Amino acid sequence: MTRPGFVLEVDDRTPPLVVHEGEGFRLQEFPLGTRVIYPPESLPAVPDVDAAIAEALLHPLDADPLPTQLRPGMRLTIAFDDVSLPLPPMRAPDIRQRIIEAVLTMAADAGVDDVQLIAANALHRRMTPAELRHIVGERAFRSFHPHGLLTNHDAEDHDNLLHVGLTEKGEDVEINRRAAESDLLVYVNVNLVAMDGGHKSVPIGLASYKSLRHHHNAKTMVRSHSFMDHTKSHLHHSAWRMGRLLKEHLNIFQIETTLNNDVFPSSYDFLMKREWEWSVRDQAAMLGARRALALAPRRLRHKLFHEMRSPYGLTGIHAGDTEAVHERTIANVHRQQLVEVQGQSDVLVLGVPYLGPYNVNSVMNPILATCMGLGYFFNSYRGQPLVRRGGAVILYHPLEANFDQLHHPSYIDFYDEILAESTDPLVIEEKYEQQFATDPWYIHLYRTSHAYHGVHPFYMWYWAAHAMDHVDDVIWVGGDRRTAARLGFRAASTLADALEMASSTVGSSPSISYLHNPPHLIADVR
Amino acid sequence: MATLPTTWLRDGVADVRIVARGWRWGRRPVVPRSAEPFVPPSQKPVFRTDWARRRPARAAREIAQKAGLEPLFRSQVRTRVEGLDVLTDLRGPVIFVANHASHLDTPLILLSLPDAWRRRTAVAAAADYFFDTWWRAVGSAVVFNTFPIDRRGGSLATTPGEVLAEGWSLVIFPEGTRSRDGWAGRFQLGAAWLATEHDVPVVPIAHRGTFAAMPRGQGWPARGRQPLTVRFGPPLRPGVDESPRDFAPRIRDAVAALLDEERTTWWDARRRAADGTTPDASGPAVAPWRRVWEQAAPPATPRADSAPARQAWRR
Repeated sequence: MTRPGFVLEVDDRTPPLVVHEGEGFRLQEFPLGTRVIYPPESLPAVPDVDAAIAEALLHPLDADPLPTQLRPGMRLTIAFDDVSLPLPPMRAPDIRQRIIEAVLTMAADAGVDDVQLIAANALHRRMTPAELRHIVGERAFRSFHPHGLLTNHDAEDHDNLLHVGLTEKGEDVEINRRAAESDLLVYVNVNLVAMDGGHKSVPIGLASYKSLRHHHNAKTMVRSHSFMDHTKSHLHHSAWRMGRLLKEHLNIFQIETTLNNDVFPSSYDFLMKREWEWSVRDQAAMLGARRALALAPRRLRHKLFHEMRSPYGLTGIHAGDTEAVHERTIANVHRQQLVEVQGQSDVLVLGVPYLGPYNVNSVMNPILATCMGLGYFFNSYRGQPLVRRGGAVILYHPLEANFDQLHHPSYIDFYDEILAESTDPLVIEEKYEQQFATDPWYIHLYRTSHAYHGVHPFYMWYWAAHAMDHVDDVIWVGGDRRTAARLGFRAASTLADALEMASSTVGSSPSISYLHNPPHLIADVR
Repeated sequence: MATLPTTWLRDGVADVRIVARGWRWGRRPVVPRSAEPFVPPSQKPVFRTDWARRRPARAAREIAQKAGLEPLFRSQVRTRVEGLDVLTDLRGPVIFVANHASHLDTPLILLSLPDAWRRRTAVAAAADYFFDTWWRAVGSAVVFNTFPIDRRGGSLATTPGEVLAEGWSLVIFPEGTRSRDGWAGRFQLGAAWLATEHDVPVVPIAHRGTFAAMPRGQGWPARGRQPLTVRFGPPLRPGVDESPRDFAPRIRDAVAALLDEERTTWWDARRRAADGTTPDASGPAVAPWRRVWEQAAPPATPRADSAPARQAWRR
């Protein structure tokens, strides 16, 4: 039986707890009374995935069965989530591959000739052929990629974008032309966390900068409480308006999937167990892993982590009308990730792991670490933040100023030039965003290489804007001091030092909450 | 300046120390209090103990108890046993029911019994504690003739009723766990239910001193051969229409009367029992430290009320 998530109160019986910090982890002894929020255990996976896919496609929600929507001579486009989901990447076969193969089988049976597959990567980097193959599978890759029918979405290819219209609030809705002009757009989603899916799929994944700028900005993010709760997120409100407009022009068949919490492969089982339940074997595995990581050269350590593939299990699949599907999807995500927590605390502790959505096969640079900690993890709440307004956030990450030249060229300039001027999201948005968003060199790299769009580091900074607005102190344990200072934060060597530094903000005996993540969880703060 | 191998080794040793302390190497693992409601029900395989009541195991146990356990036990504690005459007119099996304050209770009771009774007595032991690993289960079954009872209501290979039906007497600690302050806790109904169900007498036992000698958390008796006392009471039989719920308080009262007798005299204890003023076995309602303080004092030494032994040589 799957045990629910719960809140541990650290006492004299509590062993040191695992805290992730980049490409490694540490054992941390927390002060007595610290609340530790543990995610629910992994839900049982759907036993017959192919049968579940067939059931979803043949009996969709508020839509006709997929086979009845397929006919010869039609234009069919299949869009799918890119490499930023799930995290870590899923062990083959990826769930998207199984769904796309099922959809293509039905399309072939119906005699559909005009089919294209598009990765909905928005302003993310183009995926490599190997990454595309991993997601769609060898059969689909071999059938479509050589003919240019399996592509990455290009948000700067203006000939292939279509301005569909304006929402009632004047927001531009501009998406991939092929998708917009298809008779049927099938979207295949992996809903790893609550912010994914719904109208965030098509109106954002296939959009251009012109459309994205309406919700990917500091003001919207500060007002999204949180962006993991689409009913309270201004980002999602905007996306929903866009999605409803699109629905008037386009037939979208949304397929959403949810995964369980089997994040780490069996050799890292101990990272998913509650520490006091570690067997001798788990303890030995942890000790061995820590010694091996300490000994391994940087490249090997990087390889060890980034070659990890998750044995995720499918917990649900729903297809049909976007909003009807997403309602079921969110219920499944909550079933796996929601933990009830009573009240806020003065200090929130977060361990930032090696991987986020934007550094798959890459390096988590300090801006991405900030986005991961103060963006995704801080916002992993429903109701109210885990930390009170004016409190402190303590994060664990080395914060080395390492940048991937191939994937993150604009991040380097953002770090060196923009953050040196200001760290205020509103200020940097107003003064510098346009310059980066329209820079021809960044656009060239985005379109022809594997670089994130020039504006992407700004979005990462906006992602953290709500947290920066909410708390008064941000301290990185084990972080590089100069990097932390550049980001506008402080660094400490140990948790004790960080608490000492935060005492001017939260007093000398603050209440502390530690979000034990990953596996993923959402704190339902009452 | 420390080299890489030195730092690596030093950090490794530090890690091992942290883990050894945090995960209590050499001691039983514990669960943080707030996590206790989330401990999954034990899924351990059923451990059979019928082999431990067969002839080869009985022979091994005789050697283990007489050649190993008893000399060791007597080298660590001094004992005084009273009231064994109650067994004279009894034919087994019976249920021995005692208060529970220490791991010393079981060897104290077994080694206090006459050999004929000891050889036909089995001990009910918590499945989640004594049968959680194969080596602990085998060890306790061989040495103490234990069989598992599930404190959480799971299924077991052998029930206490079956052991009784085979003619074995049982030692049961109806509190279910060792006392945290040395005083008796609530008696569960198991022993009373078995007695009524199988129509066997209950022999109440009260002992004192084991909490002072080796309380919870200690793995070996305190130095200086601490004194222990054990007192057997007259057997109790359930009435014709007496339910386990009515019989259980009678057993607890009998143990309380024996504890009173231990502290005072048989006569005073009898008079108080007749008046219904026997001090409650759960102890006085005073500050926790005072409760522990009183129980942490060893009982009167076995020789205290008799003439001092003549010393053949000076110590």
